[in-house]
Amino acid sequence: METERIEAPRATPALAGAGFRPRFRTIGLALFVAAYLAATALVAHSDLGVQSLVLVAAVFGVLAISLDLVAGMLGLYSLGQGGFFAIGAYFTTIVVNSLGWNVFLVLLIVLLIAGLIGLAVGAMSLRVSGLYFAITTFIFTLVLTVLATDLKITGGLQGLLGPAFPDFPEGLESLGTPVAWCVMLALLLCVGFVWSIRQSPLYPVLLAIRDAERFAEAAGARTSLIKIGVFGVSAAMAGGAGWLFSFLGVVSPGQFDWAVSLNILVMVLIGGINTTVGPVIGAAFVSMFPALVNINPWLQEMVYGALSILAVTLLPGGVMSLLRRVAAFAWSAPPQAEFAVSAINRADAPVEASLFRKFASANAVAAQARGSEPDYAVECRGVQFSYGTGLMVLRNVDLAVKRGDIHGLIGPNGSGKSTLANVIAGRLQPLAGSTLIKGMRLDGASPSKRAELGMRRTFQAAELVRELTPIQNVMVGLFSLKPRIIQRAAFWPLLRSGRRDMAWMEGRSREALEMVGAGAWVGRAVGDVPHGVEQLTQLASVCVAGPDIIVLDEPATGLSAREVDHLAEILTHLKGHGVTMIIIEHQTRFLFPLCDRVTVLNAGEVILTGTAEEVRAHPVVRQVYLGELDE
Amino acid sequence: MTDGQSLALDVSALSAGYGRFDVVHDIALKVGPGEAVALLGPNGAGKTTVLKAIMGLVSQRRGSIRVAGEDVSAFPAHRVARGFAAIAPEGRRLFLDQTVEDNLLLGGLHLRRDRGRLQTLLKSVYELFPVLYEYRRRLSSYLSGGEQQMVAIGRMLMSDPKVMLLDEPSVGLSPVAVGVMVDALLKLRRRGASLLLVEQRIDVAVRVCDRLYVMTHGAIVDEMTPDDVRNEGLSIINKYLG
Amino acid sequence: MLQFVVSGVAIGAVYGLIGMALAITFYVTRIINFAQGQMMMTTVMVTAEVCAAGYPTWAAALLGLGCACVLGVLSYLIAVRPILAFNRFSFGWLVSTLGFAVIVQNAAAYIWGPTSQAFPSMFRATSFHIFSAVMTGQQLLAIVTAVVLTVVFELVRRGTLFGKIGMATAADPEMATAVGVNTTVVAIIAFAVSALYAGVAGLLIGPTTFANPYLGDTFGTFGFIAMMIGGGTEKPIAAMFGGLLLGLCAEGANAMINSQASDWFPFIVLVVVLIVSPRGLFSAGSLFRSRGRVVAAAQG
Repeated sequence: METERIEAPRATPALAGAGFRPRFRTIGLALFVAAYLAATALVAHSDLGVQSLVLVAAVFGVLAISLDLVAGMLGLYSLGQGGFFAIGAYFTTIVVNSLGWNVFLVLLIVLLIAGLIGLAVGAMSLRVSGLYFAITTFIFTLVLTVLATDLKITGGLQGLLGPAFPDFPEGLESLGTPVAWCVMLALLLCVGFVWSIRQSPLYPVLLAIRDAERFAEAAGARTSLIKIGVFGVSAAMAGGAGWLFSFLGVVSPGQFDWAVSLNILVMVLIGGINTTVGPVIGAAFVSMFPALVNINPWLQEMVYGALSILAVTLLPGGVMSLLRRVAAFAWSAPPQAEFAVSAINRADAPVEASLFRKFASANAVAAQARGSEPDYAVECRGVQFSYGTGLMVLRNVDLAVKRGDIHGLIGPNGSGKSTLANVIAGRLQPLAGSTLIKGMRLDGASPSKRAELGMRRTFQAAELVRELTPIQNVMVGLFSLKPRIIQRAAFWPLLRSGRRDMAWMEGRSREALEMVGAGAWVGRAVGDVPHGVEQLTQLASVCVAGPDIIVLDEPATGLSAREVDHLAEILTHLKGHGVTMIIIEHQTRFLFPLCDRVTVLNAGEVILTGTAEEVRAHPVVRQVYLGELDE
Repeated sequence: MTDGQSLALDVSALSAGYGRFDVVHDIALKVGPGEAVALLGPNGAGKTTVLKAIMGLVSQRRGSIRVAGEDVSAFPAHRVARGFAAIAPEGRRLFLDQTVEDNLLLGGLHLRRDRGRLQTLLKSVYELFPVLYEYRRRLSSYLSGGEQQMVAIGRMLMSDPKVMLLDEPSVGLSPVAVGVMVDALLKLRRRGASLLLVEQRIDVAVRVCDRLYVMTHGAIVDEMTPDDVRNEGLSIINKYLG
Repeated sequence: MLQFVVSGVAIGAVYGLIGMALAITFYVTRIINFAQGQMMMTTVMVTAEVCAAGYPTWAAALLGLGCACVLGVLSYLIAVRPILAFNRFSFGWLVSTLGFAVIVQNAAAYIWGPTSQAFPSMFRATSFHIFSAVMTGQQLLAIVTAVVLTVVFELVRRGTLFGKIGMATAADPEMATAVGVNTTVVAIIAFAVSALYAGVAGLLIGPTTFANPYLGDTFGTFGFIAMMIGGGTEKPIAAMFGGLLLGLCAEGANAMINSQASDWFPFIVLVVVLIVSPRGLFSAGSLFRSRGRVVAAAQG
């Protein structure tokens, strides 16, 4: 095992960005913006044919970004973008044409309306998960297309002629066509928006909601609200695209039907899902496709169909993954030093004892200093649970965990240990009975609520975002500690407070990783680190927030003997700083020396609670759990 | 046991896994005809992956797997299932929307043209677990955990495999149900079945099996007999299990 | 009043068949085949073409159904199977099945032109009077065929080994493989059968709509609505009930509101149904079918 080598990891994009000096990055950005503005000026002065080609592509770029925001970052494959697009376009056309309102006022209204409808649709369709989200949003678009076709006000199948975009004020006419500037700046704004999010600490949280929702939730993120909110923003963006589109010509139902929604998905997938510029590239390709392949329209459609099949089957990472591979090849990144698989066996990765004080919870330390009246950190009273298939998984479970204790929970597989952990962490609601945390009854409180109370947990199979680095994953654990992360995410890199907080969060996450002895692994994607480091990353993401109660679900699973010793050392340090821990574990040799008390579960019932010695001596435990031979 | 032809299962140099990493490395294990062998080890050691690799249910595997002399290492799972190996998987994995008897008959899918043999097998399953005969028309979702485990084992028996793979049949069962399960496994042994049993309960493994392999971190690290455990005590296994 | 019930059930039977076609493939592979409507269109076009060439109607119909089945299997092999191999990228089928639909539809338009062609009528002259309503032979044929195909599907699913294999594959593909099921073959058969159902729907509606390469879009959408209203994502037979309800709603709206109402009224029904019971009306765990599961004695 120790001899196995892992191939050198590729640097993740965020990390590569961090490698640049800030000044170079600023200059690079300024150059990019300048080039973009020059290109815009060029478009604004070019002839109508070119202009409409580019502008339509840009509008679809905005749409593709709006889809990537939910599909790429949250894994919500919305087919409702066409619907919001239609809302924006029709609303603008009708209101401006018939009431003559100012177009920018209308833009605000469009963003608001589309956003609100997005929130409503999101709240409704997120009740059902995954596929059903795609289906409900699909139906939303279907219904809107039917309405657009059948209502009198929308002009039926012929549609309506869009309003004219206002001219530049005097003195600026030399800039060219105003609508070109408007569309191109809007696209730049949207690109900047998603780029900012990717630079902000919200990004790892969003990916965690996508890939490891329980982890995000346990870190204090209100995952459902965030999903609905981001979907609302995405809807507003699609509505804004509709507003832009209405100035480009005729608005008719065929431009918004469900096939358009799927085409937007094709754009995102061709360009590269969950990338900043990939969707724009995809949008440009798809919308300019008819101009590029100038053959019989039916043949052209057939080629397009074939291309979209090929794109998703052969190139699931899109053009961006191809570019990245080419770039990696061209630069031929120097192979990094190879690490042995068992990181913890490396002499230079000890537990950083000095760092534990830094991460100690203020609450826990205070309680420790008070000499602590004999109160309980966690209590379960008469907890019953069943997954609905008939079998009672927990039967009348009572459990009391003293503040500052390490409390072990053992029992054979299927005895209900993990279920009990999920009940304590708020992930599952018991059928009967109650759980108390620090003396407070918390019936029905969500995991994120419990995170606010200072309770954190780890998972049996580490729930982490595999494409991000350990640092980014640990940052998820800090989510609830900094205010207004979500509100600031849209322009994070521009804010002094944003840059400061980001530096603080990165530094603290790095320290937490060093504290648990995984400091050597911060530069790789979690998908490329060995199992033991994954477990340590998970632990660091919990410790980084300074919790006073930690629930650990089989932390020693799959660790080598030395890694287990290392883990025990970390947990002992944590206990020294007053942290209460509930540890579910099989490996009694690891568990018993750590524990103040141990509870034994079997078939959903508590057999006994006592010290490690008492538990070890109990005849039932010896036979059923430790496998003592009754001969 | 040295004669390769007579072994029920002969695995050598097996590495297998799902994504970029192998979960198990260089596994070598043998199950003789009529022999019962246990695979012990902590959670996450890769025991289930070994069973799945033998069945052909993992995305990548290398090495040699011979069942009753036939090399099945290149077979897709549905061919391995045709009389070579059969599995009673972790979590039982019954077809819950079908009756007990349908579950059993699906187990004997490759014998569907051989009615007589199928009936004989069905009868022998009902002999082993009389309660299943009583419940044969019930939906399998309505059974208790222990009864569901019986169906899973029965379904495995129905394909009349050369080697039977059992993944933690004692999970989640009450002590009484575990006793019933152990008795059934012993009966199977008397009928001459070859078993590879993944267990976390050492007492079950010691009572049922002739030999015990110990696995940690994706590799087999030790091999012993139940007598070794009886003589030297649990410590010789517990040093691996923690 | 009775008239709209008759015509609603007749058209609903057609929607239901397409809904079932979508549901059958969904049942086995957990994907919605956006190209399903094109199987129906292909049957209609091929049948019309072969008939126009002077061959007997039954031969043309058989050939049409055969083409649909081949296309169904191709859609699986080209647009679905490669995607399902990528586990992590599980929504690519949205794009690839639509891409397949685009290819088929435009190929048809390229070959036969975008305009409608004549379609042979099967029971042209016959019609029956049921109280005050008139039912054409075509409508009767649609209803009878739908009933027969639904019953046959249920009988095969529950009563035959193949049906049980299909159920096992739907419930747990990996375990099905482990008992010896070749799940690829099961999926191919499922796609062929579903194309057959869609094709039959095409034969039943062809005399009314005539043969047009864009039929697939419209009827595919209505079949999808039928499946969603009924809850066919969990039980294919529920899609038939959904189709009948959809047909009744559409014809009822035409009769009660105005002649355009069938274009939008079904969508309102769909939205209401999805709000009330997101998994459809006739599926397990839905409003009407929440069977209380007896808590089995937990002896362990």
